[in-house]
This record gives sequence, C-alpha cells and structure tokens, in this order.
Amino acid sequence: MTLTYVLMQNLKRNPLRTALTAIAFAFPMAVFVAAIAFVVAMVRLSQANAQELRLVVRHKATLTNYLPEGNRRKIEALDPDRTRLKAICGMRWFGGRVPDSKIALTNLAVDPDTFPIVYSDLAMTEDETALWHRERRAAVIGSLPASAYGWKVGDRVTLNSTVPPYLSLEFQIVCISPNPVRANFFFFRRDYLDESLVQINAPSGRVNTFWIKCTSVEAIRSLQQQIDAMFANSPDETKSEDENAFVAGFIQATGDIPALMQAMAIVVVFIVALIAGNAMMMSFRERVRELAVFKAIGFPSLRVFFIVITESLMLALFGAMLGVVPASVLLLIFPGQELAKLFGVPIINQLRLSWPAVVGALAIAAFVGLVAGFWPAWQALRLKTVDAIRHVA
Amino acid sequence: MSSADIELHDVCKVYRKGRIDIPVLDGLELSIAAGEFVVLMGPSGSGKSTLLHLIGGLDSPTAGSVRVGDAQLDQMSERQLTAWRSRHVGFIFQMYHLVPVLTAAQNVELPLLLFRMSASERKERVATALSIVGLADRTDHRPNQLSGGQEQRVAIARAIVTDPDVILADEPTGDLDAHTSEEILKLLNLLNSEFGKTIVLVTHDPRAAAHGQRILHLDKGALHRDEKRAPRPAAAAVS
Amino acid sequence: MSLPLSYHLRCLFVRKTSTILTILVVAAVVAVLAWMTAFAQAVKSSLAVAGDERKIIVLRQGATAESNSVIPVDEFNKLRQLTHLATDASTGEALLSPELMVQVALPRLRDAGRTTANVAVRGVTEKAFQVHPKIKLLGSSFSKGQPEVIAGLAAAKQFAGLNVGDTLHMGYGGDRGYRVAGHFSAQGGPMESEIWAYLPSLMSSYARTMYSSAYLRLREGGDAAATIEQIRGPAIQLSAATEAQYWKEQSGTFQLYLLLAYIFLAAMCVAAIFAIANTMFSFVAGRTREIAMLRTIGFGRGKILAGFMTESVLLSLMGGVIGSGLCAAWLALVGNKKDMFGANTFTTLAFEIKLNPLIIIQSLLAVTLVGVVGALWPATRAARLQVVSALREP
Repeated sequence: MTLTYVLMQNLKRNPLRTALTAIAFAFPMAVFVAAIAFVVAMVRLSQANAQELRLVVRHKATLTNYLPEGNRRKIEALDPDRTRLKAICGMRWFGGRVPDSKIALTNLAVDPDTFPIVYSDLAMTEDETALWHRERRAAVIGSLPASAYGWKVGDRVTLNSTVPPYLSLEFQIVCISPNPVRANFFFFRRDYLDESLVQINAPSGRVNTFWIKCTSVEAIRSLQQQIDAMFANSPDETKSEDENAFVAGFIQATGDIPALMQAMAIVVVFIVALIAGNAMMMSFRERVRELAVFKAIGFPSLRVFFIVITESLMLALFGAMLGVVPASVLLLIFPGQELAKLFGVPIINQLRLSWPAVVGALAIAAFVGLVAGFWPAWQALRLKTVDAIRHVA
Repeated sequence: MSSADIELHDVCKVYRKGRIDIPVLDGLELSIAAGEFVVLMGPSGSGKSTLLHLIGGLDSPTAGSVRVGDAQLDQMSERQLTAWRSRHVGFIFQMYHLVPVLTAAQNVELPLLLFRMSASERKERVATALSIVGLADRTDHRPNQLSGGQEQRVAIARAIVTDPDVILADEPTGDLDAHTSEEILKLLNLLNSEFGKTIVLVTHDPRAAAHGQRILHLDKGALHRDEKRAPRPAAAAVS
Repeated sequence: MSLPLSYHLRCLFVRKTSTILTILVVAAVVAVLAWMTAFAQAVKSSLAVAGDERKIIVLRQGATAESNSVIPVDEFNKLRQLTHLATDASTGEALLSPELMVQVALPRLRDAGRTTANVAVRGVTEKAFQVHPKIKLLGSSFSKGQPEVIAGLAAAKQFAGLNVGDTLHMGYGGDRGYRVAGHFSAQGGPMESEIWAYLPSLMSSYARTMYSSAYLRLREGGDAAATIEQIRGPAIQLSAATEAQYWKEQSGTFQLYLLLAYIFLAAMCVAAIFAIANTMFSFVAGRTREIAMLRTIGFGRGKILAGFMTESVLLSLMGGVIGSGLCAAWLALVGNKKDMFGANTFTTLAFEIKLNPLIIIQSLLAVTLVGVVGALWPATRAARLQVVSALREP
C-alpha cells in the first residue's frame, strides 16, 4: 500500500468527477498544443531568419516599386573589404503561378552569382550549385510546390507571372530545398528573366529588393544606416530592415494569425486553471473529514499537503494527456498543405506537430495542477483535526 | 381542521440491496383512527421508519393495501402520490432538513408554493403556523441563527402550514436535549388535542412515547404489542 | 408555482468558490465568443457593402486582383460598346470608370508605427463617384490641378499621415508630395480603406500608361451575366465579375482565420459544458437531503429538474454578462482596430470591431445553451434521487 495507490484510489473515488474534469481539461489542452506548436514554429522561423544575418533593402514608398540593378554596385562600394557585407543579391518579384492553380508561391528572380551565398540556408549541395550556375533556366524550389505538384529534380515546369508584363516562362528544377522554413519558395535566375523581357521590349534591369548577407548583427545595423543615408532624397530612396522586421510586416497583415494563436494559448491556460481549481476545491471539501483522520492517525501535516497537491498534479496531467495525445495525432496528419492550398495562406503550413509544444503543454498543465492544488493542499496542511472530524461535509 | 384515518392491510415491504432481498415489513396489519396520536417504537432495523414512509406515500409497499383517508396509496402512481402528499401529509424529521439559505418564514412557505395562492394568503398562513408553534417573533431568522429546538419548531410549522390530515414525525426529538424535547412533544400534543390531527410518531425514547395515546411496538417487521394509554390532560400553551 | 429565483441564487452562492470559478470559465468563453462574433461581423459587413450587383469590375484576363492587372487605354475604350451600361442623366455619357491601383506603405497607428501596412491608392476620374455611389465626400475632393488625395475614413483612422493637410509621399521615386484634401466614407466597405487621387496625376507620377482596372455600372434592369459574357468574348477579351463575386474571392485569409477561431470556440464550449456539469454534480451531491425534503413536501421530479436547470442557467448568464463586459473593456482599452491583408490584392482592409446588443444577446443565448446542456445530467440525477435513502443519510 503506497502513497501512489492511495492517490489512485482517491481519483477513483468519484470517477465521474475525475472524468468530467479530465475531459474539461483535455479540450483546451488540445487547442493549446496546436496553438503553441504554431507559436513555436513562428519563433523557429524568426530565429532561423536571425541566424542568417540578412538585410533587406527595398524602395521606401512601397515594396512594389522598382530599384535599378545598378544600385547593387553602389552598395557594394560601401564595404570594399567585405568585412561587413558578404554578398548582395538583387531580387525581382515574378509572382508566378502554375496555370489554374490557386497556390500563391513566393516566386522571385534573383542574381545568380550571389544567390547561393546569400541564401545559404537552402543547403544546396555543390552539384546543385554547379547546376544552378550552368543551367540558364535553373530553379530552386521549396517542399510545398514540390509535393503539391509532384515535381522532381530535373522536371521542366512553367509558371505564369501575375505582374506586368505577364510573362510565361519555363524552368528546370535543379534543387528541392529540404529547409522547412523556406517551403513555398521558387527562385530562378534574373538574367533569364531579363533576357525574356528584352525580347518583348519590356523594361529590364530592375529589382524589388536587395538581399544582403552580412557578417554580424552590428554589420547589419551599420549597413542599414549607411544604405538608407546614401539613397535618401533620391528617386530610389530606400528602407532597409533586417529579415525578421521585413517578414513581420507580412505576417501581421495576414490576419495576424500568430497573435491569434498566442491569445488562444493564454485564454486556454486561464480557463484550464479555473477548471482545475474548481475540481480540486470540490474534491477537498468532500474529504475534509478523511484528511483529518489521516492526521489523527499520525501522518505529518506536510505529507497530507503533498497528497493533495500530487492528486491535483495527477488529475491535471491526466486531463492534459487526454487532450494532448489526440491533438498530436491530429497535428501529425494535419493537412497543413491542403489548407494552405485551399485558403491560399501558406503560413498555415507551419501548423504541425512539434515536440517542444507537447512538452510545453504538459509543463503548463503540470503548473496549473500545482497552482490549483495549492490552496486546498494548504487548507489541508492547516486543518485542525478535531474540528474537521466533527465537520459535516 | 382536517383529519384522516389510516388503514394498512397485509402490507409487505422488501428492499433490494445489490443481489440480496431484505424483507422489512411482513404481513403488517394496522388501523389508526382519525385524530389518534400513535407512537411507533422498536429496535433499529425493525422497520418503523419504513412504515412511516409507507403511510406518508413516500414509498410504495411490495404487497398489501395502504389507505389514508380517501386515498388508496398502493394504487397510486408516483406523480399522484407526490401531489397527494403535498396536500395531506406533514413530515417532521430528526434532522429538521430546513433550507439554510432561506429564513424561517420562507422555509414554512415552501409547501405553499405548490398551490395556487396569492402572496398575501401565503403570508397569512405562514404567520398562523408560526404563531401556533410559538415562533411569531423569529420569522426573519435563518436556520443558523436558531437553536435546535427553534429549528424543529420551524419544521413543525412547515409541516402544518398546508393543513394536512396526517402528521408523521420520525424521531423529532432525537437531536434535542430533554427540556427542549419535552416542549416539542407538548406542541405535538397540542396539534392533536386542539386541532385534531392524526399523528404518528416514531421514536425509541420511552419518555417521548409517554405522550402518545397508543404505543405500537414493532420488531422484525411485524407488530408485537399494541398498548392503549389514558389520554393525557390537555397540554398547556407552549411559549 | 415553483421555487423562487432568490432561492436558487442564494443556493449558488453557498458554494462561493465553485460558483465563482465556474462563472469565470463561462465568462472567458463568452468574452472570446463575443469578440469573434464581432470580428466576423465587422469583416462580413464591410465585404457586404461591396456587394453591389449592378457594379461590374473589369480586369485583364488571368489577373487575380486589381493590383496585378493592366488594361491598355484602347482596350478600355472597347468597353463603350457594351449595351447594358447606365448613362449619366445629364451628359448622356456611359458610367464607365477607368482606375489605376498603386500602393503606399503607411505606419499603423495602433502599434505606434512599429509596423507598416500596404494601403491601396486608387487613381480615379469624376466618373468614379457615379459608378461607386456609396462613396460620399466628407469635405473637399482632390483638385485636378494640384497633387491632392482624399483618404477613406477607415484608412485615416488606422494609418498615420492621413489627416487633412498632411502630405503623402507617392510617385515612382517617392518624391511627389500629395496633400490630403479631405476624407470620404464608403459605408464601411473595402473602399473606405483606400486613398483616392486624380487619375491623370497619378499616372504621370508613376510613369504608367495603362489603367489597372475599370468599373462600370449597369443601367436599370441591365443583365450582369450577359455583360460579363460580352466582356469575356472575342470582341473585348477582358475578364469581369460583379463586385460581390470579386470580393468573395479575396477573402481567403479571412475564411481561414474564422475557421481556426470557430474550432477554438467549439473546444472551449465543450470544456465549459463539462466544467458546468462538474460543478452542478457537486451541488446536487451536497444537497441530497434538501432535495429529499423538497420531494417529501410534494415538489415533483420535474420541478427538481427544472430547479437545477435554472441554477445552471443563472450561472451561465452571470458568466455571460461578465464575459461581455470583459470583451467590451478589452475593445475599449486595447483597441478595436484590425486590418487584414489580401494575398491577392496586396493591400489591406481596415475595419473596426464593435460590440452591438445583438452580438451580446447571441452570446448570452449560446452560453445559456451551454448551461442547459451541462446541467442536463446532474439535474436528471437530482430528479431521480431516491428520497427514502436520502432521508436516511447521516
């Protein structure tokens, strides 16, 4: 007969209440796991971005305005020794879509020479890099379009641009990047784009952004100021920001789903704490006499305290598991890509099972269980045995 | 003032506990005249509370006939019993069973909520009942502000506010000291002598038994003795 | 007659802690429910304004939004052939509006300018005011000689630099200063999140020679479907849709957001139901003697059941009122302004979230239902109480 046995018996004493509390706990916990998984994914994304030490330069008025490609040389001239600026890559939005598909890709034409350096996190192998340089129509893509359209390396694919002058170009896939954070990207060579533009007498030699790989965080800051100062009050006035700031603007605007998830997580914790607290209070009230008997027999008060708090903890964890396990299973099979396609919002692809989220959810549940059990456990500790035995529950 | 007689004929009551059948009453025969004050005594487990519940329509016999006044209880459905009970029976328990969040007056008013009555009429009846039991000045007190004896008197007021035919009391003095018990029992006598209520009192206290006109001894589900005593002199007004 | 409400209320507060905790759970659920409903309402009503069945939007073939569409001037002129066009009563000119869409990045007011949003700028001619009749000028319009703009009310409330007299830096080089001459309202529709300028001026500032889109107004009894067919046909070869259809397509992000929110709410409601059930079971268990006593007096099973349902509904309503209050406080203190980005339009739709009595009533009804469902099982148990054994309890 161990304490654990006693605890289990206690939980079985009112199986209905245990079940109800566990279920009431489980639903919010399930939501919590999903929400936290998402937040974790977002944090990972921003950390991944921060690690890459990239600076984004765009036109101050709006992202859709063009900057002349010649400004690349001017920016490079700011750091001839390359102590701060490792490489700079100009990018132009192509906005291509597979004909008759709703999926929005992040589709950009990039300077071929510096692209592999600036976007080193795509983990292109040496062979893939060589192929990128050799093949004029080379394209480097993420896992989302690859799985959505069933593309493989070596495939020839066509995209229709959704921006003027609405070109339709054919590409050859040379690399499918495994990096989950760059899942819906589609990069190709800007020299190929410019050739095609020249062929139809459309203006070429322009970019929307310059992406600069820097050597350190301080380098990002100093270059940021210098670049904006250099182009101030010119027709190509710039706004430079680090990658996370750049991305934040987009995420905020997509309905700010991360903020929604965070809010959900907080509400959940609140509700779950209330439910647990209530259950513990009810249970305690019924067992006052019995706990007094424990004390009368000779159990030290501290032991009684631990009995109550452990019971609360176990109830909370039980409920949490009841919610976390199904939620994890659902997240595993979550059609993130399908939903991303259905709604045209790629970010939802980030909603997938993440072990830190599961651990986090269980930790929060344990914390709630401890907090909720604290007050009744404290009451149990301070219980005057004699009064309690006479107490009519 | 209304009153009813009680007749039980060949009454059996069996309880099922899990898989075992426990017979509590077996072939019981009993007649109580209207206006009688009867005391039921017996050891625990003898079935006296069960008998009381059967008379009050709280329970139905496994076999046999139970008649109270014009009502044949063993042939009534639960809904009919409930409705009948509200009009014809007043219960008094050992544990008073008052609602802690209501005042004395509101507790007494409870049974009246089952009838179509104006608020003023209810108020009048409550006032009457409380004055009969001698608590006219405690109407707005909550149960936790009353002594045990006062609580039981509120319970008695509640039992008589609907002017029932029969008053059934199950160990009403079980929780009270000797002096208070005596007062409560005197009150019951008053209800019987002045208002002619049929009263069935269950008790194991011989001193309480002394208040009745007739003592029935129950043992193992059957009546053993049926004593008739001289009627007590009219009880003095209870203060 | 049955037990008075005051009895039920007092019974609830005998167990203060449990009651308050349960009320808070309900309050949290209601606060979120009210917010979500108000949010959905705000976006839906904004989009509904853009539901004019007699207004047709014309884009380049294959374009998914105005921001990635171009219509050369001569193709635009072909639209004059359309037979169902409404005409201006006085001048007899067709109600056909050429428009140019550009964007400008403006800081958001609600986070003190830490983030910027892409706000749509629409170049229009006078015809626009007739083709879009819901647009009402609040003050002066932009002049044709000076570079001026008028800002939609929703945009002015949420983004910086749109007060009358402010100067916006627009144009290809971001160096053309446009003065904000006035504001306009659009019944809360999507156009109220835009900035309007004079078309020729905008075209020259952005070195554009083509329009982005065109809007036309059908005359009384004009056939929308036929007109759209005509526009798609070989003579014109542009794409078209009614305004309602166009905006429906743009709301993908919003639908996803709503879906996530409703899943969340459903989970919370289930949790609330179980929490209420838990609490009510405890109440019933603690009052078995009282229930038995009431049954003894003559209160039937139905009345006992109703009594506990009443208590649960009282609980839920109290939680509902508190939750609504919390939501209102949140909106007042933290702000009720949101904007949502259209992945296609590349511009943002600004709106305000407002609580109105209907939303509150809906939330209260929902939470009453939750209270009823949660109390069903415990109340049934109370009704089924074996009176005799309950009376015997020590």
